[in-house]
Parts: sequence; structure tokens; C-alpha cells
Amino acid sequence: MKMAYLVMFHWGWLLASLLLGLAMGWIAVVHRGPGVSKVTARWLALLVAVLIALAAAKIVPGRFGYWLDLGLILFGCYLVGCAIGSWLRDWVVTHPRPQPTA
Amino acid sequence: MHGLFRWSSKWWPGVIPLVAFWVIAAWTSTEPMEADLAGRSLAALRGSVLDKTQITVAGRDVSLSAEAFSEDGRKGALAAVGAVPGVRLVNDETRLVPEAKPFVWSAERDVARVTLGGSAPLPQSKSKLVEAARAAINGVEVVDQMALARGAPPRFEAAALLLLDQVGKLKDGKVTLSDDTVSLSGMARDLGGREAIAAALKNLPENFKVAANDIQAPPYIFQAYKDPVAATLTLSGYVPDNTVHAAIAQAAERKFFGEKVVDNLKASVGAPSGFSAAVTTALGALSRLSTGTLAVSDREVKLSGDALYDGAAAQIRAGLGKEFPQGFQFKPEISVKPAAAPVDPTVCQQLFSDLLSKGKIRFEAARATLDPDSTALLDRLIEIALRCPTANIEVAGHTDGDGEDALNQALSEKRAQAVVDYLVKAGLPQSRFTAVGYGSTQPVAGNDTDEGKAQNRRIEFLVR
Repeated sequence: MKMAYLVMFHWGWLLASLLLGLAMGWIAVVHRGPGVSKVTARWLALLVAVLIALAAAKIVPGRFGYWLDLGLILFGCYLVGCAIGSWLRDWVVTHPRPQPTA
Repeated sequence: MHGLFRWSSKWWPGVIPLVAFWVIAAWTSTEPMEADLAGRSLAALRGSVLDKTQITVAGRDVSLSAEAFSEDGRKGALAAVGAVPGVRLVNDETRLVPEAKPFVWSAERDVARVTLGGSAPLPQSKSKLVEAARAAINGVEVVDQMALARGAPPRFEAAALLLLDQVGKLKDGKVTLSDDTVSLSGMARDLGGREAIAAALKNLPENFKVAANDIQAPPYIFQAYKDPVAATLTLSGYVPDNTVHAAIAQAAERKFFGEKVVDNLKASVGAPSGFSAAVTTALGALSRLSTGTLAVSDREVKLSGDALYDGAAAQIRAGLGKEFPQGFQFKPEISVKPAAAPVDPTVCQQLFSDLLSKGKIRFEAARATLDPDSTALLDRLIEIALRCPTANIEVAGHTDGDGEDALNQALSEKRAQAVVDYLVKAGLPQSRFTAVGYGSTQPVAGNDTDEGKAQNRRIEFLVR
């Protein structure tokens, strides 16, 4: 219910995050640059978990609370976009179209 | 799945534009969203009865500050705001409206305005009372100084509306409702205003009682002026209704035999009890004066004027006080008319005849008791008799032809004697008068009609 209001109010930004994620996920599969190390990834996951817990408990007051909610929901859309993008790219890479025989 | 973990380590560069999105979204959307939530919250409160409602929104948190009129109303308002889509938290800054003990409400009227003061239980009843005040007192400014408070007695509004109606009947004054007691003071606009208000107060809801009703009304005035020069009796002022009006007019006709009655009386409610009896008695006294003014104001009867002789003045001063109904005050200011110059017995006879041709000495039917309505005429006869102290006078009684001669003879003698007794009681020497009865032997008209008979029933004064 509460989320529905946020989604309705910010659908444009959410869509933008989703598309951003899609693009990033698409690139990530064939990207050769450095990734995030496992240890860092764990710390980041912990940070995100703490932020989600704070938002769920409604501890952060007023505007900061709202901005936290907004950031998390944008981040969530981004992650979903990334996952879909990577999966799609992987699918395209591993199932190459049969080359038309000359 | 393993692939997803591997790829995800390379997702981080996108977070940089994402943070930019986040900052821009927060920057642009915060205030519009707060305004949107404030509007929806106010709309959600439309059904709640609150005073001094204030809503401030920070992010998705709504602070509601208001005064509620009951604990249920307070909780209901909080719940209503909490249920608004998008609201994350409701900060409760509500409180209950203070309770008034005692619960006092008042309406005060003066010439220019009506001031409503004290406490009202709800905003709606407050505005309803202001409306009612405007309706009840047309064209007068209504000043609303009512505060809101809890603790009103049950059916407060009905009582206050009824009292406002009464304020409309006042010229100035104040109506106060303190818990369940009503007190009123002031001056009614109309003569019957006090009675009308007292009657209306009976319709108060039964849990209310009237502690003090000090409403005054303008005095109920009745005036009569006897003018010997114009030979008129002018009646002015008020009478309670047409029946009393007719009775008073009739009494005036009977008691004032020589004067034309000018009737300027108006009907109005608000007469004190016993009004009719008091006025009739007072008119009787006025009829005995040569010139005089009667003023009845509420329960005060003022009679001033000139009596025809000392005895009459004394009788009026002393006797009348006892004849008034309970509660009436009689204030006579009676002087005695200077004695007229003595005249010859022949002139006296002329004066007697003139006077008795204008009015008749009346008795109770078939009895020798003088009708009190004839007192004025008898006083005038005494005044004439005093002007010729040497003349001896025969008082002659006559009857009509009805009945046995012996009875008529006896009745005429007794009636003549009753008149002589009255004259002697008034201070005239017994030796000057002889009472003679002629029965029906000297008719002046035919005994075959009622008018003729009435003419034959008479008392004559003959100077010997």
C-alpha cells in the first residue's frame, strides 16, 4: 500500500533506474575490468541490509527517512535491471544464432 | 546462478549514475510529495470534528496538531490520517479541548449588538448559535466571543437556541446558562414580554432549571382623565383583552352620567392580576371627583383631583384602599373643590332638576339599596344642597306600576329614606330633609313600556 504510493509517484525514476540496470547488466557479462572483491561485496551487502532494516523499522525521521526509502527502492530497481540485463546477455552469448551458410 | 554472482561484481559502475538519479529525484520530488500528502491528509480529516487543525509534512511523516472534542474523535482523526496512502508515520500532537467547569454560556443584548460569550461545545453548534442569534434579532450586529470547550450539559444546544429566542424579546439584558441553570435579567421590549418569556421558558429541556428570572417589563399603564369643562372622560393606555375592554367601557358609562366617554384603550397582554377589578374601583372613585386624573401603572393606582365636599374626600382617601385587589397600592392625592357661592332655593331647585334629568339615582332591583354607581350623582346632589343651606328639601320616591300598590308604596318610601340617610351621612342636617314615598301614584310616563316604567322609577328633589 505504502510502496504502491511511492511507485506511483516516482515511476519515471524507477523506470530510469531499471533501464540503467538493464544496460549495466548487459555490459557486465562481457566486461573485462576489475570487479568488486568478495570481502567488499559482503560488506556492501551488510550495509544494504542495515539500510533496509532501518527503513523497515521507520527509525530515520522525516525527510531523511523518505530519502532512504527512495534510495533503496531506486537501488532495488537497478539491481533487478542488472540481473535481467546480465541474464539476457548471457543467454544471447551462449545461444549464438546459427550463422547462415554461405 | 553462479554466473549472476560473477556478473554482479561488475555491476558497481552503474551505481554512480544511480546516485545521481537518486539525488535529482530527492531534490525535485520531496516538496511536491509533501504537499500532495498534506492535501490528502486534510481531505481525510474532513469528516472529523476538530478545532485548530494544523498539518505539517516532513518526507512521508505527517504531524497532526489539533484539538478534539472527545477521545474517540481524537483517535479517529489519527487513524484517518494514518490510513492515507503514502503516509509513513503520524506524529500525534493532538489534544482534547479543555473542559469547562462549570460550563457557562451567555448572550447579552444592548442597543447596538448581541454578544455571545462563554463556551460552546462544538464548532457546528457555535456557528448554529451565531446564525440563530442573527435570525432572532434582526438587523443587529452579532459578536461571537464564544470559546470551544467540553463539558456541556446534555441538550445544551436546544436550551441555548430557546434562550436566544428570548433574547430577541429583550430591549436589553443578559441570559446566562451555567451548567443546567438559567438566569435572565434585563428589560423586555414589549408590554407582555415578561409573560411571553416566562411562558417560553417552560419549554426548556427538562434537565434545565431557571434559577433567576429578573426580566422587567415596561409598566402596564391605564389612564383616565375627567374633564369637567369639555364634559368628557378620556380613557387611554392598555387593557388585557376585548372582554375586559367592554366591561371597563360599560362601567365608565354607568359611573359617569354626565360625561362623554372617549375610549382610546388598546389591548395588550401583561396586565397585573386583578387589573380589571382595580380599574373599575378606581373609576368609581374618579367619578366622584369634579375634575381628576387616574393613573394605574402596574400595581400602583394614583388618583388626583378635587372632591366635591370634605366628606367625599375623606371617604375616597380612606375607603378605597380596602376595596382594591391584593397587591395594589392606592395613592390618593385628593383636595376639596372650593365651595361654590350660595344660591337662592329656587336656583337650587333648578339645579336639582337639571342634574336629575341627566342622571338617575339607581337602586338594586326591587330593593332600597343604593347602587354604588350612583355615588357620583349623589355627591353632586349633596354639593347643590350645600349651596342653599336654608332650603328644606323633600326627597320623593316613585315606582312604576308593576306589583301591588302597598309594596310599591313601601319601596318608594324606603328608597327615599335611603337617599336621605346617605345625605345625612355626608354631613347634611337631618332636619332639612323629609323622605316621602308616592308609590306608583304619580307616573310621568305610561307604565305599558319598559322605557316608561324606567322613567317612572325615580327620586325627585323638591325644595319646599
